[in-house]
Amino acid sequence: MVPEFLTLAEAGALISKRELSPVELVESRLARIERIDGNLNSFIRVLGDQALAAARSAEAEIMAGHYRGPMHGIPIGLKDIYETKRVPTTAHSKVLIRHVPQQDASSVRRLTEAGAIVLGKLATHEFAFGGPSFDLPWPPARNPWDTSRFTGGSSSGTGAAVAAGLVLGGTGSDTGGSIRGPAAFCGLAGLKPSYGRISRAGILPLAFSLDHAGPMTWTAEDCAIMLQAMAGYDAADPASANRPVPDYRAALSGDVGGLKIGVVRHFYETDNPANEATRQGIARTTKVFEDLGCLVRELRLPPLADWAACGIIIMLSEAYAIHEATLRERFADYGEAFRDRMALAPLITGGDYVQALRRRRELAGELAAAMADLDLVLTAAAASEAPPIDAVGKFAIFERPLLTMPFNVSGTPAMSVCCGYTEAGLPLAFQLAGKPFDEVTVLKAAHAYEKATPWRSIRPRLL
Amino acid sequence: MSREQVEAALARAGLDVPEREKPVIAAAAHFIEEMAARVRTDRKMSAESAHIFPPPEA
Repeated sequence: MVPEFLTLAEAGALISKRELSPVELVESRLARIERIDGNLNSFIRVLGDQALAAARSAEAEIMAGHYRGPMHGIPIGLKDIYETKRVPTTAHSKVLIRHVPQQDASSVRRLTEAGAIVLGKLATHEFAFGGPSFDLPWPPARNPWDTSRFTGGSSSGTGAAVAAGLVLGGTGSDTGGSIRGPAAFCGLAGLKPSYGRISRAGILPLAFSLDHAGPMTWTAEDCAIMLQAMAGYDAADPASANRPVPDYRAALSGDVGGLKIGVVRHFYETDNPANEATRQGIARTTKVFEDLGCLVRELRLPPLADWAACGIIIMLSEAYAIHEATLRERFADYGEAFRDRMALAPLITGGDYVQALRRRRELAGELAAAMADLDLVLTAAAASEAPPIDAVGKFAIFERPLLTMPFNVSGTPAMSVCCGYTEAGLPLAFQLAGKPFDEVTVLKAAHAYEKATPWRSIRPRLL
Repeated sequence: MSREQVEAALARAGLDVPEREKPVIAAAAHFIEEMAARVRTDRKMSAESAHIFPPPEA
């Protein structure tokens, strides 16, 4: 009997010792999807036959002594903006409902070469921007902790599927917080790595200068394992960084004592005031890091609204350039949330866009200067627990500045980490951000925090 | 930005926006105005960080 919940690391260890069959593991997840996902809508396409064939192949390889590593035989899901060979990739949109790519995205190819088994394509907000939407070809994903609640977005299906144990890891994309938001609301570890760390080749874009691909898993260790498989230079992505890829998992061990952490309180106390449960969760979190020997001090950065304005002006401008012609021809084929948000883009001038790029340079410089004597920045990942799904307004991302946007603007690594639960049992989260290409320190601190707290032992109660 | 100005911008962009959505979009236009104002700081000509041939201090 395969356990209801397994971390990626746990499953990998069992598979490597031949104590768990990839076929049994995949069969158990497919049965779970069949049983549970009708309430969650996390998958928009399940690839059962393909996954079982891949699992049998993985099992034969492993039994023959060809174990590839910790992703071998691990069932994952892909946000449906990651292109997959001969499998529709729709961006959850009527506009691309017949789009069948002829090759895998580079990161998908890396994951399958590492032995991962793709169980299917996961729900997203339309083109990673609209949503939650009720007028698309598929319904929006729902939060496994309470199905009346929002998953966060745009990597909504990945958040739901990983939290529900339907897959052991999944891919997300993050242009303003689309990995860290759903990770926060669904109680996961979600890593937006440095800009350029993971190739975006073959991933449907939202805004090229802000888009990041990354892993969403139950633990920081699992994020490290997935990142290892996904990271690395790819000439097919013009922004891909040709830098060495460290051994992320090996770097998790060891002491975090002495790490210097700057807490940006004004982001969640005044700029986008978080609710009491979130503030208390973060206060407890800073105490945990102090107890682990970290040196914690307050840090002030430019107002959150500056980062959000900069990011949204850039995001809307770049996204509009992609969709402009299709919006003219097929406006009504997009969902209302996406098209009405995009309809604001023609109000932005070329001058506005360039001023935002100039402001970006200034903001990134200010963050770099502020972090000169720090290892990490800590702040909130979201201002509250997941709200009711029907209470999320069409223009919500414009109404209050996103707590996640600063690290898209800066291109630096940032991660959402669960820091407890509300009285109603909904996850709370904080955000850790590091220096450019220093995912190691982010992951190491998150891993130490998870080991020091009980939150990873609590899973959603599902039917 | 007035509703007329927003509708003119949508028409110039060639977007076939349903009538019922136009006032909703117009009501959200202030977000863009506020954000566009926020990214404009007091920069001189020489502040262009991407210039290969830096302009003189103005």
